[in-house]
Amino acid sequence: MFYTIGQRKKWQRILYLILPVLSVALVILAYALVQMRLPALLPDAGELWDRFLRTFTNPIKEAGLPGHIWASLRRVLIALLFAWTLGISFGVLIGWNRTCKALFGSIFELFRPIPPIAWIPIIIMWFGIGEFPKVLIVFIGSFIPVVINTEAGIRMVEKEYIDVGRVFGAKRSQLLREFVVPTALPSIFAGVRTSVSCAWTVVLAAEMLGADHGVGALVTRGWNAGDMALVFVSIICIGIIGAILAFVLNKLEKVVCPWNN
Amino acid sequence: MEQLTSGLVVEHVTKTFFNSGGYFTAVEDVSFSLNDGEFLVILGPGRCGKTVLLNMIAGIEEKTGGSIRYNGQEKTGAHPDFGMVFQSLALMPFKTVMENVELPLKLRGVPKGERRETARHYIELVGLTGFEKSYPHELSGGMKQRVGIARAYAANPKVLIMDEPFGQLDAQTRYSMQNEILRIWEAERRTVIFVTNNIEEAVYLGDRIILLSDCPATVKETYPIGLPRPRDMVSREFLGIRTRISDNTDLAI
Amino acid sequence: MSINQKDLEQGLSAYKKSRKKNLLRMVLLSAAGIAVFLLVWQLVVQFKLVNVRNLPAPTKVMETLIYKISNRNPDGNTLGTNIVASLQVALSGFFLALVIGIPLGLFMGWFTPVDKFVRPVFELLRPVPPIAWIPVVVVFVGIDLKAKATIIFLSVFVPCVINSYTGIKLTKRTLINVAKTFGAGNFETFVKVGIPSAMPMVFTGVRTALGGAWSTLVAAEMLAAKAGLGYMLQVGRNVARADIVVAGMVAISVLGALMALALGILEKRVLKWKLER
Repeated sequence: MFYTIGQRKKWQRILYLILPVLSVALVILAYALVQMRLPALLPDAGELWDRFLRTFTNPIKEAGLPGHIWASLRRVLIALLFAWTLGISFGVLIGWNRTCKALFGSIFELFRPIPPIAWIPIIIMWFGIGEFPKVLIVFIGSFIPVVINTEAGIRMVEKEYIDVGRVFGAKRSQLLREFVVPTALPSIFAGVRTSVSCAWTVVLAAEMLGADHGVGALVTRGWNAGDMALVFVSIICIGIIGAILAFVLNKLEKVVCPWNN
Repeated sequence: MEQLTSGLVVEHVTKTFFNSGGYFTAVEDVSFSLNDGEFLVILGPGRCGKTVLLNMIAGIEEKTGGSIRYNGQEKTGAHPDFGMVFQSLALMPFKTVMENVELPLKLRGVPKGERRETARHYIELVGLTGFEKSYPHELSGGMKQRVGIARAYAANPKVLIMDEPFGQLDAQTRYSMQNEILRIWEAERRTVIFVTNNIEEAVYLGDRIILLSDCPATVKETYPIGLPRPRDMVSREFLGIRTRISDNTDLAI
Repeated sequence: MSINQKDLEQGLSAYKKSRKKNLLRMVLLSAAGIAVFLLVWQLVVQFKLVNVRNLPAPTKVMETLIYKISNRNPDGNTLGTNIVASLQVALSGFFLALVIGIPLGLFMGWFTPVDKFVRPVFELLRPVPPIAWIPVVVVFVGIDLKAKATIIFLSVFVPCVINSYTGIKLTKRTLINVAKTFGAGNFETFVKVGIPSAMPMVFTGVRTALGGAWSTLVAAEMLAAKAGLGYMLQVGRNVARADIVVAGMVAISVLGALMALALGILEKRVLKWKLER
């Protein structure tokens, strides 16, 4: 009996090692098969590598790949800084004060269902295709989830915590600072996390619709020029940066909310 | 009243809750006064009124009738002479043990060095030295409860209100915490109002027991407990009192 | 001083009155907020208070919306055609992703071999925002309904899988043990215990996905389409008709809000047991 279980466990371990390798291998195989049929549409690994190297030696619009990545990240970072400060403040305001919730929350609800990407045309019409309009669009896209999560977090603070504060004679401002905001912090952080992935998506869309620099601009450029290798190199970059951003946020959460496991 | 009162007098206090469906009276016509230095136990069956009554005394729940006076004045809202240990602990998960205990002092604007010192004293008193930097989720149930007690003491209250503080502990921890609380009470000599639904705990701890009825909570009977401490839970006197109270208690379903 | 019935009745009616008053106050304040916002917008345009070109007044936007109901200018489609085109794309991609993504997530969460097999591929796709795939999809599939539905599919698929996976992973051990004690096999436990307890999380995923789908759709239609609300925005921008653009934004957000509302109602129905806890 013990022996069979042990053996089954062993087979299971081997199976669990093989399966991931197998699936990745299958994807690569499928890609290779399609690539051989349609070499014009899909680049092979060698082409991808060459194209990747050429982004350094042959700059596009006077910027190498790192330059384009930085252009996108810079927009995201500036927009996020504004979205976080303003979004958290606004979320606390409408989560804490009922009158403000009724007055400003209603206006916020008007804007909330507009997908951030839908702002792109009108903002381009208003402000052109410079740096400010792009940051603005990213800001809109990341502001909304921060507000929603902050407000929800503030609202969900248990009455008990507030009771503790009141028993020990906390003033209203102290209640907010010492009890409510810290309790809402995990929820606020969830908003921050969403805002980052939103920002990354929106900046791509904004760049794809009209920009000289940025990874989104590279995608469009490759697409328009029939340079699929460039498109794929950009997509891979976008994916890697997206993954890095998610990883950094996970680490950051452990630092910001160490009690929340 | 030949004894020295602590200044807290509860008279005809009533609490009715309203909602869109109707009303519900949780506390009805409760009166008592608190003696100085006393360990008063409020004993009541399961569901009703006890926490509400305490919250009204602590000043975090409005009463709908009667009066609560402290030092001759009507008590509205919280008062620095009152501290509370909460049923559900209500420790701040985002604060360490030290930060939780010093919280009441921080709210009063006590400077950091001074409040650290006071907090350290009470952390030591409840036997948690060495855990100052732990977060509540890293502690056991009994340890968390000790933090709650230390926090209440750190506020330096004259009257300490404890709302079923041991309700969520296992039997073993509960016994040791009961002895612990008596030890701290004897060391610090504050007046205590202690709520429980456990008759043994009530008889073991209290100088006086106020027995409440089931919903709405009214005062059924008051029992002064003259037994010397430490009390023996299987002595004849102890069991006698226990049976008398038990026979008089409403069954909580 | 025992309490009497009359006092209680009086207290209750006073309570109800104050509640009503509070509610009314909130509704009025909300309305006031929106009214002031629209009024300021209107006045800003009317008196040219800020130097923003291309800002249509709310009244102008309303006019355009009504005009577009029966007129094809300037994008070649009436508002109705655009809405139908967008909905068709969004919903077909959306439902396809639900049908594939939710079961996949559930299976991955319950059966370890499935998890081991699918996970690596999924983790490779996950960090890429769906709109980055637009060029690839367009090159392979074209710009018809199928192409855009594919992009929507990608955007819905990921949150559906993640949430179903997490939901079923969070199934309480005790529930599983109860089912197994009563003699249920692994598959039966999966169907009768795992899936129902994952439902709230699944719905959270669907809700997230719906927002994402609608947003991605707009991007897809702006980049490659001949009809649809996103296309209307794009044309409006190209011919410098801000009123068309804003009208399109209004239509997009109203439809998005309506779909979210419908999903909310469905969720309440399906998850009745959860609310009655």
